[in-house]
Amino acid sequence: MDIGNIKKHSDLNFEVAKAKKNALEKLRSRQLMAYNERLFQADANTINLVSTLKQHSKDFYVLDVNDNPCHVENPEDFLQKLIERNQETLNSYQQLHHDLANKGK
Amino acid sequence: MTTGVLMYCFDTPKFNYHKLAERSVAQIRKYLKLEITIVTNLETFKKFKPMGMINYKLVENKTTNTRAYRGRNVPWYNKERALAYEHSPYDTTILMDCDYFVFSPTLLELANTQFDMMLHDRVHDLTVEDTIEGRYESTLPLVWATVTLFRKNTNTKAIFDMIKHVQENYPYYRNLYRIIYNSYRNDFAFAIALHQLNLGTFIPTPMAMLADKVDVIDNDDDGIVFKYNGRVNLTSGQDVHVMDKEWCNG
Repeated sequence: MDIGNIKKHSDLNFEVAKAKKNALEKLRSRQLMAYNERLFQADANTINLVSTLKQHSKDFYVLDVNDNPCHVENPEDFLQKLIERNQETLNSYQQLHHDLANKGK
Repeated sequence: MTTGVLMYCFDTPKFNYHKLAERSVAQIRKYLKLEITIVTNLETFKKFKPMGMINYKLVENKTTNTRAYRGRNVPWYNKERALAYEHSPYDTTILMDCDYFVFSPTLLELANTQFDMMLHDRVHDLTVEDTIEGRYESTLPLVWATVTLFRKNTNTKAIFDMIKHVQENYPYYRNLYRIIYNSYRNDFAFAIALHQLNLGTFIPTPMAMLADKVDVIDNDDDGIVFKYNGRVNLTSGQDVHVMDKEWCNG
């Protein structure tokens, strides 16, 4: 591989890295979700927490992203909304990721 | 309880801010579907194209401030924003710059939560070169007043009263917090008020931004195409603050 090709390859990887970083920021922003007047991030941590607490209690308290307590009275509904939002954002990211993966081929 | 968008828009001798506002209104209508109030002056008001149902509030704005833009010093009419509490007809207000473009319903999610005032304290430079970080510009943590959500109550009344006080005594506060810029900037006035009153909630994800070095070359309802350092890129489905003031001029 000559230096011209290496430079081209490097430029492409740089562009892909930038696109991934922007897409992840977008994903995190779109995962913000209001529930019972509190703000949550529909990410794996929140889903795991709610899923675990749901197995032990019919209702419980969790902290939102600003450390405000939220009374979750219907865990099933909350968990479903979190999963829906999480998968919606990940689906968009997956499509972009797929396009980026094909870019280098 | 009413929720709406409040926007300040004053054309300057250099820039047609009303064209940015027209574009921004279209985006708000598509993604937020909220009532909109524009605070403007008579001269700018006359230039707006018909946009359907918009509440206008006409004021005589102060014209004493300037800012640096692409190596030039240009007029900057930004002092009326301190009166947003009085100008807003809404219980919950999304106070937004006319160069902030909505491409998602994220602000609706934020508006449906409990807060007194909520705004960004971090930015994400879409060129991924961190050109807008704002480090070492003052001794206080910077916030971005570009998009500010607030509910009318005694706390936010106190914040806006404090912002007015900071504006009136800006040289003192500029010295106190070692702010490096001479120009009055709302970001600092809001940051000082929140710092003094120990209030405010921050939006947990950073505000996506395109710095003034970035040229916007195309746009549609879903996103913006921009050019930086000879490279073309696009953003879609993500709200963005665009600092290129000339792209709507066509």
